[in-house]
Amino acid sequence: MIRAVETDVAATDADSSVAVKTIRVRVLRQDAPGRESYWERHDVPYEPNMNIISVLQKIAAKATSADGRAVPPVAWDCSCLEEVCGSCTMLVNGRTRMACSALVDKLLVENADEIVIEPMTKFPVVRDLVVDRRRLFRSLERVKAWVPVDGSYDQGPGPRISPKEQEDAYPLSTCISCGCCLEACPQFTKIEVIRRDDESQEEFDARRKAAFDKGFLGAHAISQAMLFNAHPTGGMIADERLKAVTSQGGIQMCGNAQNCVAVCPKQIPLTRSIARAGRAATLWAIKRLFDR
Amino acid sequence: MSTNPASGPESIDSFFSRHQFLIYRLFSLSGLIPVGAFLVVHLLTNASVLFGPESFQSRVDLIHSLQPILPFVEWAFIFLPMLFHASVGFAIIAGGLPNVGSYPYVGNVRYTLQRATGMIAFAFILWHVWQLHSLGKSFGGGAFKPEQATSTAATAIQSAPVAILYAIGVLSAVFHFANGLWTLGITWGIWTSPAAMRRANWVSIVVGVALAAAGLGGLAGMLTTDVDEAERIESKLHPKNDAAAQDGR
Ligand code: SF4
Ligand code: SF4
Ligand code: FES
Repeated sequence: MIRAVETDVAATDADSSVAVKTIRVRVLRQDAPGRESYWERHDVPYEPNMNIISVLQKIAAKATSADGRAVPPVAWDCSCLEEVCGSCTMLVNGRTRMACSALVDKLLVENADEIVIEPMTKFPVVRDLVVDRRRLFRSLERVKAWVPVDGSYDQGPGPRISPKEQEDAYPLSTCISCGCCLEACPQFTKIEVIRRDDESQEEFDARRKAAFDKGFLGAHAISQAMLFNAHPTGGMIADERLKAVTSQGGIQMCGNAQNCVAVCPKQIPLTRSIARAGRAATLWAIKRLFDR
Repeated sequence: MSTNPASGPESIDSFFSRHQFLIYRLFSLSGLIPVGAFLVVHLLTNASVLFGPESFQSRVDLIHSLQPILPFVEWAFIFLPMLFHASVGFAIIAGGLPNVGSYPYVGNVRYTLQRATGMIAFAFILWHVWQLHSLGKSFGGGAFKPEQATSTAATAIQSAPVAILYAIGVLSAVFHFANGLWTLGITWGIWTSPAAMRRANWVSIVVGVALAAAGLGGLAGMLTTDVDEAERIESKLHPKNDAAAQDGR
């Protein structure tokens, strides 16, 4: 696919040695939380092997829109640039992806005319492409996505984990909390809580948390709950996780669209985790019915 | 958590929130038992018309031999579960945000179709019950007479627009059931691995195609029925009734 673009560029060079191929980019911008969003066009000179981050860097450096106006640089999040930190999630050509691993040459094969960049739609926009993904982390808290080993004394070495179990768990442990699975999920809808004038920060935080806790957990948190329930030490609080997974906004909200697994940049077997959580929830609910 | 009688609507809301998991699981189960099971029985019964009016009439007679308690059976095992399934279903549809445009994956298309066919099937069933079931009588419908099963059903359906709407309604219900079978298995954790889901998918395809054949077969049987001939056969099977009908004339 990349070869096709290179020949394309070579052809352009042959046509006229002065002409530089430019990429047309359209960015959905928003100046502050709760403000109207608006489209802005940018022309970016083509270079081979660019990713969306380098496109955004060029837009920031130029700070001039395609129609020649000086504009504030577009804001975005990124860090690792190797699809590990999970901070650069955005919509590129309408689909959720990691900007750092979204390669321009491939995108131009999909659509040579334009690259469209938008912020995620399931999280409140902070500015331009920067979104507030607090809810994603709140979901991980809700399901206690950790191994509880905090204590005041040395608990000794942990139990052995068989290679088979390790193999099963490893893919789930590669989640980068990017939120692609949530963005693409038709059952995960945006919760944006705006701070009232008469509200203290604490009151606002509490209200926002309560709103998050009614919403769908999302595929990532369900998968993490399964990861830590399968861990011998983590499994010690398996019941607490299942309680969270079957409470309001739990696994029952999943509609089995299976978009999550299709868009996960880490190819985590999310639907397997969801089905396993469904099975665990079934057994847990039956057990609770008879143990009451 | 004691309930505060002063906060009526809020406690209803909190009731649904606290029991969301249970309600959604009952929703899922009700789609298979009894609603789905009823769909299967109904479509297979209809298909028996392909073997002639006698065959269909004998099955209808069997069902109506329950007569004194038939309304109770209908409400307890068909109408109420169906209304429950539909109301939770509409709440689920209202809470979702279909996005096949951006993510045109097979699973997502099925997710969207599941919702669309659910709504079509619900509208179709309302109309169908009005048109044929005795409940529809007070509203100008209720054309089906159990003692003249084939002729009354055939008369009601033998017009092109009605037949087309029936085909759409039946196929929607069948898709909704077959696809729902597959998602039910994931929801309850019956098939968990991708390979098991693929195998289960074949099962749901086979069930869906078989039921679609039965449903469309029944419809075709009704459309090709000779109504006069069917009436003759019915009057032989239910002579008393025929006399009553003659008296009425
Ligand atoms: S399978 Fe469930 S969690 Fe995944 S995208 Fe579909 S509805 Fe969302
Ligand atoms: S499960 Fe996949 S898509 Fe979801 S947050 Fe983790 S890495 Fe991202
Ligand atoms: S910058 Fe870290 S995942 Fe893209």
